[in-house]
Amino acid sequence: MKTVLTMLALLLATSVMAAEINPQRAQFNYQMSCQGCHAPDGSGANAVPRMRDYVGIFLSTQAGREYLVRVPGSAVSALDDAELAEVLNWIVLEFAGNSVVEPFEHYSAQEVGRLRQQPLNEVVQYRAQLLAEIASANLRE
Amino acid sequence: MKLIDGLFDKLFEQQTRQLAQRSSRRGMLKTLGGLLVGAGSIPLLPVARAAAAESPGHPVEEGDPASCDYWRYCAIDGFLCSCCGGSENTCPPGTEMSPVTWIGTCRNPADGRNYVISYNDCCGKSSCGACLCQRDEGDRPPYRPDKTNDINWCLGTTSAAYHCSTAIVVGVAFESK
Repeated sequence: MKTVLTMLALLLATSVMAAEINPQRAQFNYQMSCQGCHAPDGSGANAVPRMRDYVGIFLSTQAGREYLVRVPGSAVSALDDAELAEVLNWIVLEFAGNSVVEPFEHYSAQEVGRLRQQPLNEVVQYRAQLLAEIASANLRE
Repeated sequence: MKLIDGLFDKLFEQQTRQLAQRSSRRGMLKTLGGLLVGAGSIPLLPVARAAAAESPGHPVEEGDPASCDYWRYCAIDGFLCSCCGGSENTCPPGTEMSPVTWIGTCRNPADGRNYVISYNDCCGKSSCGACLCQRDEGDRPPYRPDKTNDINWCLGTTSAAYHCSTAIVVGVAFESK
């Protein structure tokens, strides 16, 4: 009985998670709000950071996870909280590749709504500092 | 039981003989051949071609890409590459396409659907000067920088000199039902 219940719970959890991302809507919102600078495949351009095979690195610390929401392109975008959460989850699933450490806990609209209240100002400096912290944390492991 | 078996035998024999008399092996080949050729020709019919053309990169289109009225230019502000030695999709020789671009949607009158259009600028030469178009639909003030066409989008290119603009279809707009 316990197994059946666990399986049911798992099934429910996956269906809820699956319902969170509509790939067509997420890609459209990515195209409209992100692609112009980050490129169709997330590879970026010159000063625009690359997300492909890289963006998952930020998810290894709490500050990094928050950074992806607080970065101005996310925080002040015209997308609402649910749309932003969806497009962030889509970006991680679509572009992060091996840079993400599984399991990836999806962003929720509530989490995104809370974090985007503190958009970052000195992004370039903050990002460099964050990546240095992540690198040293990985070295300690 | 024997009686029923005998009846079935007779019935099948009769039917098989009738079929053999009505049809020929050539007729069978003819029908099969017809079916094969017919199936092959289906993709040539206009319906099949219209379906293939509906992929985001190649929607069914009408209009002149060298005119400001062309559907993809609904939010354009600049010179048309179609009048400058390039096309609505490509840069003129000697210029470089900016990888950083501004993106909006335009309604395609040919099929009534909205498409995602990327206005990639071509850079590296001074202004083309031909076919200046300013339609600006959906253009926002510079406080919304990703949706304004008043800034020079020659970003990420070796030269920041603006020459002309393309209008590339990059997807189909998502419409909530």
